[in-house]
Amino acid sequence: MLRHAVAAALLAGLASGSNAAPQRIVSINLCADELVLRLAPPGVVKSVTWLARDPALSNVSVQARYVPVNRGLAEDVVPLAPDLVIAGALTTRTAVALLQRLGIPVLELSLPSSVEEAFEQIATVAAAVGAPAQGAQLIADMKQAFAASPSVLTFISARPIAAVYQPNGFTIGSGSLINDLLKRAGLRNLAVEQRIDNYGALSLELLLFAQPDLLIMNAVENRGPAMAYEILRHPALMSWYGEARVVSLPSAWWSCPGPRLVDVVQRLRHAAQQLPPNAAR
Amino acid sequence: MNARAWSPPARSSVTLLRPSSLLGALVVILLLLSAVSLSVGRAPLDVGAAIAQWLRGESTLATLVLIELRVPRTVLGVLVGASLGLAGAALQGLLRNPLAEPGIIGVSSCAAFGAVVAFYSGFSLTAPLALPLAGIAGALIAVLLLYALAGREASTLTLILAGVAINGFAGAATALALNLAPNPFAVTEIVFWMMGSLADRSISHLQLAAPLMIVGWVLLLNSGRALDALTLGEDTAASLGVRLGRLRLMLVLGTALAVGSGVAVTGAVGFVGLVAPHLLRPLVGHQPSRLLVASALAGAVLVLAADIAIRSITVGPELKLGVVTALIGAPFFLLLVMRLRRAVI
Repeated sequence: MLRHAVAAALLAGLASGSNAAPQRIVSINLCADELVLRLAPPGVVKSVTWLARDPALSNVSVQARYVPVNRGLAEDVVPLAPDLVIAGALTTRTAVALLQRLGIPVLELSLPSSVEEAFEQIATVAAAVGAPAQGAQLIADMKQAFAASPSVLTFISARPIAAVYQPNGFTIGSGSLINDLLKRAGLRNLAVEQRIDNYGALSLELLLFAQPDLLIMNAVENRGPAMAYEILRHPALMSWYGEARVVSLPSAWWSCPGPRLVDVVQRLRHAAQQLPPNAAR
Repeated sequence: MNARAWSPPARSSVTLLRPSSLLGALVVILLLLSAVSLSVGRAPLDVGAAIAQWLRGESTLATLVLIELRVPRTVLGVLVGASLGLAGAALQGLLRNPLAEPGIIGVSSCAAFGAVVAFYSGFSLTAPLALPLAGIAGALIAVLLLYALAGREASTLTLILAGVAINGFAGAATALALNLAPNPFAVTEIVFWMMGSLADRSISHLQLAAPLMIVGWVLLLNSGRALDALTLGEDTAASLGVRLGRLRLMLVLGTALAVGSGVAVTGAVGFVGLVAPHLLRPLVGHQPSRLLVASALAGAVLVLAADIAIRSITVGPELKLGVVTALIGAPFFLLLVMRLRRAVI
């Protein structure tokens, strides 16, 4: 309730005149980092999260180098005297509660489950930071790019099946941004056919037996070894899937709303077109 | 008179079986469980057909799942279980302490710490053999430390307290190393190292661990006769021709090799080395030399059975192996403690 009231109040304030636009914006969420750095007027973003500078996680690591970083704690945020804090709806709950009690306006972003919801979120943030025109432009550019690249359906008769395979053997199914991107690229999602909602475990045996045409893996992140990656390098997986059927995508590209979503769809369509004609069922 | 010629009087026991029939029964159970282990999994695999295809030299999806996933898992389970059962029996003989077990006395957790350092530092990426060797080094430090703290004629209590301290220190050091690891996944992976798992292990893990493990087995199995003599006390054993220094060295090195290399690829699996020797001891007439092989087989049976149970539960993410062995082993441990208390009173 309160969240909506805050957002509504913000939007109402923005509608009344540009002088109401916030001048001291702090983001405590990785996806919000990208949107404020892309949309807000120069100089008004006072802090973004420390994750925004990590090129493995963030699409705006270069821009984030010139902005002070926070660790999502209330004590990082309050001294900056922000007039708008943008947070994730599921993360840093204690910090958000504290900031709201101190009367600092907080805009909370939910996790978009489709490209349409990502567009809505871009528009919401653009309005909140006083840059509705920039937001509208970004959305229009993305829509045009989505429409411009041809669908897989014009190249092959049946839609190939793709599986997203993540560290620890997790896959991503319906109700996720990547699922919508797969759909837009003309691909079927193995996780959806296995009735996996959102994030769920998919055993190596089942993955091999399902024989997806494309395997979508995170592009190599140079962050030191972990047991979580062992399953992705398992000899069984590597011997069954040649290089040709593995699509390497940086997970940052499809984790947050932003122009990188277009690159994901283009990369997926390209990979699908490279498949031999008999691969699709 | 030397140790080889010496043989202790068989204790009277109604449950005493002929050695060959006991070992034969354990081998049959192990083979049956191995067959079950090969046929249990998430994918609907026709094991018979897969084996037939593999024998014909065909390379299909079925042979891939069988050879690359299920065979390594089964063989690794057998090897790790046998190592733990064998090491448990040998340590109980060496320390003449019924509660000695690689997990309880901290050998496994020190091995896990060694492996964690080699793995997360990236060292084992460039030199794969560093992983089992670091596990062995960790285990070796723990066994030496234990022997110094609770080696000669120490009470059960001293051994357990030393184990608690070593376990606590190794656990904290492992958590610290994982926190310092550059990968964000590392911290959550403490569960694997503390509880152990055979999930999605590959032939390469088997190739890394098995040779060193088997060297350890040879050392432990060759100490049987001397362990028999040691049941009569160190002085008597020495007078019977047992070279105590050599025996200790063999057992310490053997335990470190067998447990350390296993933990390095599967994490620490607890209680197997406690349960296996205790279940078998009455059946072999309390004779350490006969207990070694029997306990190794029983350890393999236990780990394989626990892993089959884990894979039969198809709801949610897979359980860790140590969860099942601890659920069985911890009550067993309590039972032993109660029995020891009664014996003391």
